[in-house]
Amino acid sequence: MSAQPTGVWVYLQHTKGDLTRDSLELIAAGRSVAEKLKQKVVGVLIGSGLESMEDRAIEYGADSVLVVDDPALEVYFNLAYADAIYSMVEERKPYVFLFSANEIGKDIAARVAFRVPTGLATDNVQLAVEDYTNPALGQFKDLLIQIRPDFGTRLARIYTPRHRPQMATVRPGSFAPLAPDPGRKGNVERVEFKPGSYPAKVTEVTELPPPVPDLGAADVVISLGMGILKDAGGHPRDPREAYGYAKQLKELLEGRYGLKTEVGATRALVYAEVKELDGLIGRSNQVGQTGATVKPRVYIAVGISGALQHRVGMQNSAKIVAINTDPEAPIFKIAHYPIVGDVYEELPRLIAAMEGTSAG
Amino acid sequence: MLIVVLLKGVPARTTQAVQIGGVLNREAMDLVLNPHDAKAVEAADYLRRRAGGKIVALTMGPDMKLIPLMKPLYDSEVGGVDEEYVLSDRKMAGSDTLATSYAVALGVKKLVERHLAPLDELAAAIRKSGYSEAVKAKAEELYAANLLPNGVYSDLPSVKDTIVHRFLDGKTTAATAVAELAAEKDKLSKFIVVAGVKTTDGETGSVGPQVAEGVSELLGKTIPHATYVEEFEVDPETGTVTTERRIGYLSQKLEMQLPALLTISHEYRPSTAPASGQAAARAASYRGKSLQATKWTADDLGADPKRLGLAGSPTIVGTGIDIGKPPVQKKVGETMVFLKRVEQFEFETKKYGPYAPGDLASGLPTGAIDKLRSEGSVGVFDTSMLARELLQ
Repeated sequence: MSAQPTGVWVYLQHTKGDLTRDSLELIAAGRSVAEKLKQKVVGVLIGSGLESMEDRAIEYGADSVLVVDDPALEVYFNLAYADAIYSMVEERKPYVFLFSANEIGKDIAARVAFRVPTGLATDNVQLAVEDYTNPALGQFKDLLIQIRPDFGTRLARIYTPRHRPQMATVRPGSFAPLAPDPGRKGNVERVEFKPGSYPAKVTEVTELPPPVPDLGAADVVISLGMGILKDAGGHPRDPREAYGYAKQLKELLEGRYGLKTEVGATRALVYAEVKELDGLIGRSNQVGQTGATVKPRVYIAVGISGALQHRVGMQNSAKIVAINTDPEAPIFKIAHYPIVGDVYEELPRLIAAMEGTSAG
Repeated sequence: MLIVVLLKGVPARTTQAVQIGGVLNREAMDLVLNPHDAKAVEAADYLRRRAGGKIVALTMGPDMKLIPLMKPLYDSEVGGVDEEYVLSDRKMAGSDTLATSYAVALGVKKLVERHLAPLDELAAAIRKSGYSEAVKAKAEELYAANLLPNGVYSDLPSVKDTIVHRFLDGKTTAATAVAELAAEKDKLSKFIVVAGVKTTDGETGSVGPQVAEGVSELLGKTIPHATYVEEFEVDPETGTVTTERRIGYLSQKLEMQLPALLTISHEYRPSTAPASGQAAARAASYRGKSLQATKWTADDLGADPKRLGLAGSPTIVGTGIDIGKPPVQKKVGETMVFLKRVEQFEFETKKYGPYAPGDLASGLPTGAIDKLRSEGSVGVFDTSMLARELLQ
């Protein structure tokens, strides 16, 4: 290695001629790290016909953009994209390389990391920069601290002290996109793509409509947990009633206040496959480690005890309301507005209060 | 077709996870088969029904724990596995995804070699000894060891037409038999690896693609992969597999030449294998199941010790972070808050404020709270205040 590795690279995904929300979040994640390191954020764009997106990346916080624009890369193809990325990494030696922790980001990052070789810390929900001392390996200055849900009951710090770049995937929803600045200037550099021959080809691609519900883009998320199956007295309740309240609140918030609202659910409730909720609550509603990570303005946890696996998916919400009968429920540790009580009394009360309130 | 299914033993209960310096101590825990692997086993079963061959389970970890774990799969006649291989060595302990993928890739390579070598051995025997009992003896030995497909040699009464039988019966020349074995070897080198999309302990989803990359490195040719496969079909004749998967904002069909690696999504539902290919599938199948699991150590794999275990793992798991940081909380019906703006004031020689509506009053001396309450400046946080704050 000649030059010292430098630069915080972010791999930018795009669809229909625009950067994805995940990518805008990733630029913000990159910025937070780059500022602490006093390094530059470099957007990496791969595809065909990318001109409009180069400026977008800079507006949203990238200092420069590396563009591999080639008709052969028009559709996403993991082997060709990984090759294009790997050759840039080898040539330019970034210090940090971030990918979105979605199917595409993981698809490429894993292969590239093996080939470099370097570590890959997946599904990070926070990033930091710290000095690190390891008794066996020594001292490391300004290391990327990759913070992800650990197996068990906590978040773990993952370090990649000896290898560069330090590669990580960042969970969508963990960072908010920066406000775009149309005046921002940055350098755009085009990189040539040398097409290889591959024992695979993409034969068909369909762009999918946005997910329903689009939890990540919601201003308010009302999530339901196992607590809706019974009332405070332990008597079974028809969970459709609680779902009805959530729907009612959604309509109120969207109709009167223009707040995009979605109904979420815990993994426990989704996997319980409650007959009454069939067709109402499914996998796409799931918030948490194995579902969506959300960061809405308001998160209302209804009958949710708050296992770590759920909390990591919503803990960054601006305001958290939690309604639960158990005062010891872990959700209350992170709730700004804890309400100890019966879901079937407290939720209607909250809705009534919201109906009688004008937006202030 | 050689079908390798990657399996992992994961802790049965999260509360019981035993960690040493951020590394799970699997020997001290109850393990279960990674739940995501069930779909990989289903996919492997479909592949065997469709194309014939053998399902080989490959796993890594303490063999004493893993062999009993795989036993039900081994015992089951339907949807099980035919052979088990465990990569087990202290030198592999503490491996992150990179070091794990390296070891597993070595395991895949060794499995492939193990299944290709018998065809060479048989060809060598034919070349050397011509029409002799030695060829038959060699074929019988390899077949009994579950290392020859029925189409090469078989003792099944239903399968008479094999490469070895044709040769021994004088229907083909030695040169033809050797050429047929070479063609068989070529077919067999088009293996497939299936795995779950991720594990419940690491949750990374990285090992599948990284094993594909590792095998690519070890075999010196690109092994394509597809993650989150919801549907697939394999064509044993052309050695291709077509996959359908949903990745982010795309639904994609990826056609891959074998060898290839797939990770199988929850959405995968096996279909019925077409009846037309059944004769070919039978010819590609093996004698049956091997009786014992095979353990391979780092030395057996010819592994580079620098790429295994903690030494070969770029990532280090550090100290944990408790995310239960309590925010400033307002409890409905309990917390005292300011109801209106209150300018700075003095109470018992100390200065307080100014305060905005909604600010917490709970830190103030009791006397001050009582006074402010009587003035109507402070009150109990109620639902309508909550509603207002949420809508701000």
